[in-house]
Amino acid sequence: MFKKVLIANRGEIAVRIIKACQMIDIKTIAIYSDVDKKAPHVQIADETYNLGDPTPVQSYLNIPKIIKIAKEAEADAIHPGYGFLAENPDFAKTCLDIGIKFIGPKPEVISLMGDKIAAKKTMEKAGVPVIPGYHGSKQDTKSLVKEGEKIGFPLLVKAAAGGGGKGMRIVHSKDKLEEAIEGSKRESKSSFGDDTVFLEKYLDKPRHIEFQILADEHGNIVHLFERECSIQRRHQKIIEETPSHIMTEKLRKKMGDAAVKAAEVVGYTNAGTVEFMVDKDQNFYFMEMNTRLQVEHPVTEMTTGVDLAKWQLKIADGEKLILKQKDISQRGHAIECRIYAEDPSNGFLPSIGVLEKVQAPNGPNIRDDSGIYTGLNVTPYYDPMLSKLIVSGENRDDAIQKMIWALSHYAVLGVTTNIPFLRKVVEHPEFKKGNTTTHFINNFFKDWTIAKKGLPIDAIISLAVYDSMHTKKQEIVRYKESDPHNPWRHMGRWRIGGKEGE
Amino acid sequence: MFINYEHENNVYNVTVERRKNNYYVTYDNSEYKVEAEEIKKGHMKIKIGDRIIKSIITEGDKEKFVFVEGNVYKVLPIELTGIKKSRKKKEEGDLSSPISGKVVNVKAKKGDKIKKDDVIMVIEAMKMEYIIRSPYDGIVQKINFKENDQIEIGEITAEVKKK
Repeated sequence: MFKKVLIANRGEIAVRIIKACQMIDIKTIAIYSDVDKKAPHVQIADETYNLGDPTPVQSYLNIPKIIKIAKEAEADAIHPGYGFLAENPDFAKTCLDIGIKFIGPKPEVISLMGDKIAAKKTMEKAGVPVIPGYHGSKQDTKSLVKEGEKIGFPLLVKAAAGGGGKGMRIVHSKDKLEEAIEGSKRESKSSFGDDTVFLEKYLDKPRHIEFQILADEHGNIVHLFERECSIQRRHQKIIEETPSHIMTEKLRKKMGDAAVKAAEVVGYTNAGTVEFMVDKDQNFYFMEMNTRLQVEHPVTEMTTGVDLAKWQLKIADGEKLILKQKDISQRGHAIECRIYAEDPSNGFLPSIGVLEKVQAPNGPNIRDDSGIYTGLNVTPYYDPMLSKLIVSGENRDDAIQKMIWALSHYAVLGVTTNIPFLRKVVEHPEFKKGNTTTHFINNFFKDWTIAKKGLPIDAIISLAVYDSMHTKKQEIVRYKESDPHNPWRHMGRWRIGGKEGE
Repeated sequence: MFINYEHENNVYNVTVERRKNNYYVTYDNSEYKVEAEEIKKGHMKIKIGDRIIKSIITEGDKEKFVFVEGNVYKVLPIELTGIKKSRKKKEEGDLSSPISGKVVNVKAKKGDKIKKDDVIMVIEAMKMEYIIRSPYDGIVQKINFKENDQIEIGEITAEVKKK
């Protein structure tokens, strides 16, 4: 087994991978930028190396810097996590060339799946259903508009190199198409350095359902069932669950077989995810394959008992998959909520600042994959995801009930988070009924703002008692000696918290 | 002791008094007699009649945060001048940037006649695009940023004279 693994990431996923390594006696190397000096992944790793400048290009995306550290620290392998360099074929290739194992599939597979057009063509050839659309090479705005009109509205403009919703636009009418194509191209160019876009039919009441794959380097491939990730804002998932509410044994078999087939035709190795869209009539279409560990992998772990991060390490080390398809089973229901530093009342804009207090809920089958702690400064440099809260229950209702409890006991003070919003979503009657589509947030929470009912009496009492406890004694005495019925006499004299004029 | 809390532009006048083992909190003409303890720093357990409030309070630079029943409230204890601090509310037709980022495209120029919802500029932050649209029909008086400029949250992107 590897002796030392470098984790080329930060935040909760770096923490998750470091723990997976340490549990099987692999030493870990963390890398961090200047603003991440005190980040949790740095605190728990066995060795740490500074990357300097916090801008992503200069730090977690800087291939030469990271490779240099890996060599210096004598890493046997590099785990890229998700995001950053996880799906960068050049990075995987560089690792291969210098004899450091990249924990993921081969560079050419990453390359193929990273090119969404080529990926679809490959899948179509292999008999995996794909969504009708334009994936051609005529990339001038005029031609694209013409192709778009052929497909009809609504349609989707997507960045060929995209992921995580970046560069994606929904267009409902012809007059908005040009603006959408241009915007998508710009965003794609600046995010991925490639402005190729494609167009595709936008499905009715679509659900996002994906299948987890594990494939070893000896030709064994299994799937670990589905995850439904339909609840999205800005085309990014915020709530994921397994099993999917609409899944039947028959459909699961069909989709699972298609997912395994997809992995097979490209010679996939390690953990991966095949994403499908499923329409209201249960037709499913291949969307893309993510060649890495997914953010939402814990819901699969919670219901199958399989440690995916551990298997990534074992597979990369050349071990054979001892898991057989027939031995993998799912028990109960798991839900994940992504906790973001963002303001759902204000277009989900990221919020930054010091976390004055962090207290995660705990209890049976409640998991908090966290990258934060009290006192940590949330900076604007990286994705604003703070942590992931995952619960599992005996069935969906049970899991929902547990999630509501867990969210209402998750205290994050200091920056605005989406926790109250997540709770409203999970409590929503349509969510409870399982009527989850990718339009859910837009349909039910379009102009959602936190109900401004003012301060509840419990908050007022808490504050008043707290301030009373923390006010200097002599001030209280002075207060008692004066007329308690005329508080205005004390204007300007009482210092809250006893901080000033002590 | 008399305290004013400001929350979402409202001011709450509260008095609290400690007598023996109880706190007496008066707010909005009601008095609440409570027993309270701070279990650990900022963790409050307050007994009010047969009900228990559990809350967490932390202090930031100026503001305080209260966590109660799964919600977070941010309050500002304010000086007892008796005058409500007036905060400038966002006016209709706000053209300030909602986020710090980079200007990636400027669609309008000085002198342009533009319609409501026309795109003025596009700002990119955290790999997302934020579109600044005109809040009304009008004429562009001034564009304050050009492509590739860095823009900070709250900075005014452009001036549009309402028609």
